[in-house]
Amino acid sequence: MRPRRAVGAAVLLVLLLGAVLGTYRSVRVADDDPARRLSSELRCPACQGESVADSRSPIAAAIREVIAARLRAGDSPEEVRTYLVRRYGAEVLATPPAQGWGLLLWLVPVLALGVGAGSALRTHRRRRGAAPGARPAPPRPTRRPPPPVTAAGVWTAGAVAVLALVGGVAVAAPRLATAPEPARRPGPAIAADPVLDLLALARAAEEQGRYEAAAEIYRTALERRPADEIRLRFAFILIRLGQTAEAARLAETVLAARPDTPDALLMLGLAQRDSDPAASVHTLRRFLDRAPGHPAAAEVRRLLGDG
Amino acid sequence: MTRPPAGWPGRRLRWVPSLALLAIGALGATVAVGVAGTGSRSTGSPVTAPGAPAPPLAGRSLTGAPVDLAAFRGRVVLVNLFASWCGPCRDELPLLVAAQRRWASRDLQVLGLAVRDGEAAIRALLAETGAVELTVVPDPTGATAVSWGAFGVPETFLVDAQGRIADRTSGPVTAGWLDRRLTRLLGAP
Amino acid sequence: MTGQVGSVALGAGLAASVAATLLWLRRALAPDAPVRPARLATAAALVAAVLACGAAEWALLRHDFSLRFVAEHGGRHVPVYYTVTSLWSALDGSLLLWLLILTGYAGLLARTVPADGRRLHPWAMAVVSVVAVFFFALSHFAANPFHPVAPVPADGPGPNPLLRTHPAMGLHPPLLYAGYVGLVVPFGYALAGLLAGPAGRRWAVPARRWTLLAWTLLTAGILLGAWWSYAVLGWGGYWAWDPVENASLVPWLTATAFLHALRRPGAVDRTGWPVGLACASFLLVLLGTFLTRSGMVASVHAFTASPLGPVLLGFLLVTAVGTVLLIGWRLRLPADSDTPRAEPLLSRPTALLGTLILLTTIAAVVLAGTLFPLLAEAVSGTTAAVGPGYFHRTVVPLAIVLLGLVGLAPLLSRAGTSPGELAGRAAAPAGVALAAVAVPGLLSRPGPTVLAAFGCAGFALASTAADLWRRLRASGRRAGWSRIGTALAHAGIALVAVGAAASAAYTVSVERELAVGESLTASGATVRLAAIERTGDDAGMRVRARLAVGPSGRPTGTAAPELTYHPGHDLTVSVPAIRPGLLRDTYTTLLAVSADGRTATVRLAVNRMVSLVWAGGALTVLGGALVLAGTVPRRARRGRIRRDRDRPRPAAPVAPGGAR
Repeated sequence: MRPRRAVGAAVLLVLLLGAVLGTYRSVRVADDDPARRLSSELRCPACQGESVADSRSPIAAAIREVIAARLRAGDSPEEVRTYLVRRYGAEVLATPPAQGWGLLLWLVPVLALGVGAGSALRTHRRRRGAAPGARPAPPRPTRRPPPPVTAAGVWTAGAVAVLALVGGVAVAAPRLATAPEPARRPGPAIAADPVLDLLALARAAEEQGRYEAAAEIYRTALERRPADEIRLRFAFILIRLGQTAEAARLAETVLAARPDTPDALLMLGLAQRDSDPAASVHTLRRFLDRAPGHPAAAEVRRLLGDG
Repeated sequence: MTRPPAGWPGRRLRWVPSLALLAIGALGATVAVGVAGTGSRSTGSPVTAPGAPAPPLAGRSLTGAPVDLAAFRGRVVLVNLFASWCGPCRDELPLLVAAQRRWASRDLQVLGLAVRDGEAAIRALLAETGAVELTVVPDPTGATAVSWGAFGVPETFLVDAQGRIADRTSGPVTAGWLDRRLTRLLGAP
Repeated sequence: MTGQVGSVALGAGLAASVAATLLWLRRALAPDAPVRPARLATAAALVAAVLACGAAEWALLRHDFSLRFVAEHGGRHVPVYYTVTSLWSALDGSLLLWLLILTGYAGLLARTVPADGRRLHPWAMAVVSVVAVFFFALSHFAANPFHPVAPVPADGPGPNPLLRTHPAMGLHPPLLYAGYVGLVVPFGYALAGLLAGPAGRRWAVPARRWTLLAWTLLTAGILLGAWWSYAVLGWGGYWAWDPVENASLVPWLTATAFLHALRRPGAVDRTGWPVGLACASFLLVLLGTFLTRSGMVASVHAFTASPLGPVLLGFLLVTAVGTVLLIGWRLRLPADSDTPRAEPLLSRPTALLGTLILLTTIAAVVLAGTLFPLLAEAVSGTTAAVGPGYFHRTVVPLAIVLLGLVGLAPLLSRAGTSPGELAGRAAAPAGVALAAVAVPGLLSRPGPTVLAAFGCAGFALASTAADLWRRLRASGRRAGWSRIGTALAHAGIALVAVGAAASAAYTVSVERELAVGESLTASGATVRLAAIERTGDDAGMRVRARLAVGPSGRPTGTAAPELTYHPGHDLTVSVPAIRPGLLRDTYTTLLAVSADGRTATVRLAVNRMVSLVWAGGALTVLGGALVLAGTVPRRARRGRIRRDRDRPRPAAPVAPGGAR
């Protein structure tokens, strides 16, 4: 038995030596890429929950280059961090610093471990104090029992509580739903506005040349949200489909509210070309007066024969 | 039976429930404040907070002329960060040109900073949007944008005649925004 | 029509659960009250939930855009499979799934009365029914998916594109919810134990069985979520310490702690741990639901802001305060004089206590990190972020110590082990642990944290295996599924730790803009860009990079990562291509394609030993299932639950008529 033990101990010793050596070797190269480390501890200011190191956003790329350049120039990582905090505020740090409110966060593990271990130790001590051989604990006076409760009382209270719960939700929910939503930070990836979805859908249909489908979607979007921008896009599609009368009506609606809106003048002018060429020329000239630099201006000049 | 038999033995937990109630109360109140909060956020950037001296901005413009923000002391400078790869910037440039023209007599200088962009792409964008007359300084690495604490493009800063940050806004500016801010700084055109 | 059916079903479900609550309460207060009406009411609530879910699915499949939910989340271009799954890809529909699972649990619970818990069962049912009342009310009043829209749109945008790129979408949320919601049953039993007075001492036996079920499902759900993150989100990792991921992890940690708390001798009677942990687990489920369903935290997985937040917060606070008051009022620990036995320091109960403290500490840390941004904004008005850095520096060391305890516990015996005895038993596992540190440490340089993780995992694996072997040999074939399951679960956790540590230390990634024909090499893996393909259809644009994997001239396979643009959501999704291997995955992502379509920016990563995470996770799930199988009572003849041995003896005299 004894030689086996000695061999075992020797093997363990050799392994221990290897482990210590391996760990030592590992420790010395831990800090291989300070730029990478630093950028992974910073939050990309333009994104949601991504670090500067991982983000694809151009501003994150710029920050990465700034970090690399400043480190090359001899700044310490701490100086680079301070430089960026002065520019972007403390919220650029992916982890709050251990000061002020941030300190609380770092104290959580310590406190939780301390409370757990402390209470366990207390219980252990107390029990040992009560262990056989020790002084027997004096019999405690019996505690007063909780106040008696009748079954009917409990049932009534339960019924009232459940009804109160349902009533509370029923009363609170509609109020909260109609309360103006405070302007929160940009929401997560899911689009919240169905009209925006509709517009994107219409644009896609437009790009694929499915004008009738696009017109239908714009009609729906317009009914949900009577906005000038949607009116004009809808009018444009209608002109493409040859339904100029409705397009002219839409453009006139916009002009009634906001006279001289260049896009509305443009749409009205284009829509009038078949029905009333003279009015069309007049409207398009007004358009050119209002917005000489409009992307469509060159095309309109060509139409009017202005060269 | 809900009524415990007389002399139900044992000890109660004494401080744990009160501590837990305290924690729940504190957490609940804070989260409720958060839920009801207005969502206003302060950008904690000391460098470009209103009133702080503007960070340096110098370089060569697209035409090769040296440009230095410090040389514009005494004039109001509108610094606009843009790039050809950004859609909203495209819509914004004509507004800036119009502002430059309107307030030219009032000593407004518009300065474009083209962030992480190639010179050819910048020129094409300027030509396309009719903004060739703007003074544009390329910032190919984005280092200047970072030194201004920019969150992205487009982003606009207003620097007053004393060289201090007067205002900043992330995202595209509107004609109304320009109108109000510039009128306040420079008077009506 | 479908909308009316759904709305009526929700209302009927609300009424049925109110009735169920009151009927079960009556049964709890008067044991001779009939049980049948209560069961019927619970069944009616289940039927109502099934009808509501069915109506929503029917409307989705029929493209009935007159309903708000379908108009906002349905779409004609969405394949049938993802149309079905779109029920739970947005807020209102996912509440319906919640309800279905909750009432499903209630229905199942109504039918399984524990042999010696007849007095407990109605109380537990009443608690579960109250929760159902709340969620029916929430769905009916605050997030009713069946509200009509006018005018009726011709088409909808479909669910979030991220949620229709991978078939796991059909499995991951239901599994996760099943685990999540299942924690309501142990909560019900814990409260029942308090409410039923001295007759409530046996609450832990059925609570343990139901927790095992929920825990196993939750583990599987979390694992699938990590896999989904790895295979769909394309950022290369599987766990981002994202608020939604954390919200599922925290109840898992406390539920794990609860299962361990019950293994301490006399735990139920002598300490407050089990009651506290069972209640905390469900309260944390509610908290997680609040965080992820209210838009309070920014996350890839979170749903958008909604009026649900304040209502859920109110319910959470009321429940938490009520639970704590109940614990303070009714929980009785034996007086000190009744617990003469102090555990020796080197004993299994001490190790278990250490496990409990560590697990709750980790849960507290993860919770604190998740809530901190919210609290900081409320208190100081500035935004703050808690990134992976915080969790790596706090959770990882705690988890490594915990892993060491997993290895230590089997070496200790219940009554205490002398240091000499322990050294003898620990020699072999310690050898394995030291080898697990020495070999990788000498061959590569992964850093001390990773080495510590390897060492502790090796220790845990070796000692678990040795313990299982010893027990199997000692008891022949009658070791029991429970014992084997526990060992498998522990081994699985150790494997997950190895996989996580190794993938963190050895993963190599490069990214570069490639022209067609150029190649990219990382850590021995080479990909050559063969072609860039563009396709477009109604659902959006799709760009795919065809990559030849393997040394140039001798490709061993292909990979085709793609970018999909979804106009309905103005969102670009990057779908990675993964060539899995036993110890190394070749993970390629398409990051961008130039406007002229001639070059593509490709990221190539070689992820080491990620497969161990999946294998270890699967082993843990299997272990949980085996333990669960071991606790299912042998039917009929004995009519009592096996494992009586572990059942705590009443430490105090039970008054006559207290327990029957």
